[in-house]
Amino acid sequence: MIANAAWDRAIGMLPDRMAAHLGVSAAAVGLALLIAVPVVLVMAGRPRLRAAVLTAAGVVQTVPALALLALFYPLLLALSALTERLAGFGVPALGFLPSMLALTLYALLPLLRGGADGLASVPPATLDAADGIGMTRGQRLLHVELPMAAPIIIGGLRTAAVWTIGAATLATTVGQKSLGDLIFAGLQLEDWALVVTGCLAAAALAIITDMALWRVETGIAARKWRKAGLGGALLAAMVAAVLALWWNARPPETAERPVVVGAKSFGEQYILAELIASRLREQGLAVTVRSGLGSAVAFRALTAGDIDLYVDYSGTLWSNALGRTDVAPRASMIATLRTELPRRHKVQVAAVLGFENAYALAMQRTDAERLGIASLADLARQSDRLRLATDTEFQSREEWAALQRAYGLRFARLTAYTPTLMVRALIGGEADVMTAFSSDGRIAADDLTLLTDPAGALPSYDAMLLIGPTRPDLARRLQALEGRIAVEAMRQANWQVDRATDKRTPEQAARWLAGRIAEK
Amino acid sequence: MAVTLEYERINISRGGRPVLVDIDLVLPAGGLVALTGASGAGKTTLLRITNRLLAPDSGRLLIDGADAANEPGPQLRRRIGYAAQGVGLFPHWTVGDNIAAVPWLNGMERQGRDRLVLEMLDLVELPQSFASRMPAALSGGQASRVGLARALAARPGLLLLDEPFAALDPETRNELADRIEALHKAQGLTTLLVTHDLADALTRATRILVLDGGRLVADATPAALVADPHPAVQALIASPLDQARRLVRLTE
Repeated sequence: MIANAAWDRAIGMLPDRMAAHLGVSAAAVGLALLIAVPVVLVMAGRPRLRAAVLTAAGVVQTVPALALLALFYPLLLALSALTERLAGFGVPALGFLPSMLALTLYALLPLLRGGADGLASVPPATLDAADGIGMTRGQRLLHVELPMAAPIIIGGLRTAAVWTIGAATLATTVGQKSLGDLIFAGLQLEDWALVVTGCLAAAALAIITDMALWRVETGIAARKWRKAGLGGALLAAMVAAVLALWWNARPPETAERPVVVGAKSFGEQYILAELIASRLREQGLAVTVRSGLGSAVAFRALTAGDIDLYVDYSGTLWSNALGRTDVAPRASMIATLRTELPRRHKVQVAAVLGFENAYALAMQRTDAERLGIASLADLARQSDRLRLATDTEFQSREEWAALQRAYGLRFARLTAYTPTLMVRALIGGEADVMTAFSSDGRIAADDLTLLTDPAGALPSYDAMLLIGPTRPDLARRLQALEGRIAVEAMRQANWQVDRATDKRTPEQAARWLAGRIAEK
Repeated sequence: MAVTLEYERINISRGGRPVLVDIDLVLPAGGLVALTGASGAGKTTLLRITNRLLAPDSGRLLIDGADAANEPGPQLRRRIGYAAQGVGLFPHWTVGDNIAAVPWLNGMERQGRDRLVLEMLDLVELPQSFASRMPAALSGGQASRVGLARALAARPGLLLLDEPFAALDPETRNELADRIEALHKAQGLTTLLVTHDLADALTRATRILVLDGGRLVADATPAALVADPHPAVQALIASPLDQARRLVRLTE
């Protein structure tokens, strides 16, 4: 059973997210319509152009929506840099704009196809008659072709609307508020109330929109104007509700822009973001949290000023922000990042928090003690008799190659699992060793031992609080966090939100963690 | 007022292939002229040049002495009655709105159009109640009549009919042909009728034009054409005559 509190929290998030979701969907479909109408008119009677355009739109459609959204972010950053240089102002690269543009591209194909098929459905005899009685091209289009094609055109619009509302859940990954906020957070935290609420709300929006457009479509086809009008009125009411909610939620104009804390899409990030947000609030600042950011998006969002601060990990920054491929010792990695990030990206390291979230190999403590294994070097001597369970990613990662090089690990069997099943395989005795993240809450809860890495083969992933160029003053306010979060405390906090029973929200876990920091 | 048509050395080709070659022709006012020939002979092309749905590559067309190229196409076509091949009623408009299409394009008021629709329905012998029906509810013959009423609603002096009898059963076909003949006389029209069926042409027209490979190979009254057929016409005449003889034998 899911506790009532979980449902309350999920439903509390709904109105705001629903309005934003519908808003970005409506804007995308509206823009797609503005583009599709002239393109369809130009395509009419030009079969080659029509084939080329529909193929191009079809190719766009094959790009997964998630990738399309992620692609728009760097694209807009480049555009923003360009406009900044040419016109002196940048365009926002995170949130509404990239989401709307990517969804617009996505909505184009059904609109173009509906328009083209609709116009092609008008019989040649009818067109000939229209020309022959003396209609101009414009009159023929307006009075004959469009009304006759309307049902098929609106059919395309229905498909576009339903797809867009579905795909808009992914806008969360580029920092746009949407019903995806509930779904992404819910999946990461295994909070099924959030997931179910988000999914049902998105499905309901899609179904209601589809029904309204269906009334318009069949109303026009049967020339029942009342029915078509009712459908149109329902749509208009939905858009009006969104506008009203937005107007209400809009911050007062005099207020300063709140500090935006970013978080990637997993539990530890949600907890740290809430911890930081509450620290800043205690200092009298207005703060919002933008969670669920794609891993690739977060650092760019910081340098572009779309978020003001977030926590990232040294190993990730080492390769992504500095472009390094080598492995350096933990301390020198941190030192290099402290000097290079400000120089190359105008990003300050406010604090190194004190724990790592690194790849490691783990065993059940009882097994490790029985076999006398404490380090990866110990493991290497016996690995040919042991079975390794990995997550789905690990075997293709650089870390695995580095481990094999440094220790000559040769396992009797290698099996890839989803994270939950991987733990079950280890506890159930189907595997002897598994891959783990060092701050994972399950390490303490399931009585696991992390094997040490004496050769330093695995890169370190120290959690670092980064401050972007927009609010350099924040570094001073948060530098007290330096070295204050021990890995054991982080594991416990993570466990509170990850576990299946007696689950806490990230806010509650953050409050608990703040208490632990204060005790120290 | 019936219209005089003068075609002066009309040439047109499509994709390098000549479709009409040196058409020189005068059609005096008041004729019911059948334009016939095998498929691809250029019949429909000549019809479409007459209301400038197609422009010739060279040569010109004079309508009552004025060059048709000097008037904007849509405006010209509103003065010429046109019944498209396959009728082509607008399926989303009522029968009445279909009939009144050209007067509506010319800016006639609703009341005038309503009166005109009833009059045109009488003219093509359809019940006045049909005005509010949708085209989908009409039989093939009824739709053809509505198409005819639409062509005549703006009181043109010239009526162009593109295969008006195609896809109709013989009885309906005959009724419609009677109606066209009667309207042609009553309205004082010049009528140009495209048909691939020489029997229609022979029994209704005052004059028959036969096209073959884009050239005008025969231009005569029906009687003259039957009496002294051009070689290209013989084949066209042979089959209806043969059919007729077999029918006569059957009744004896």
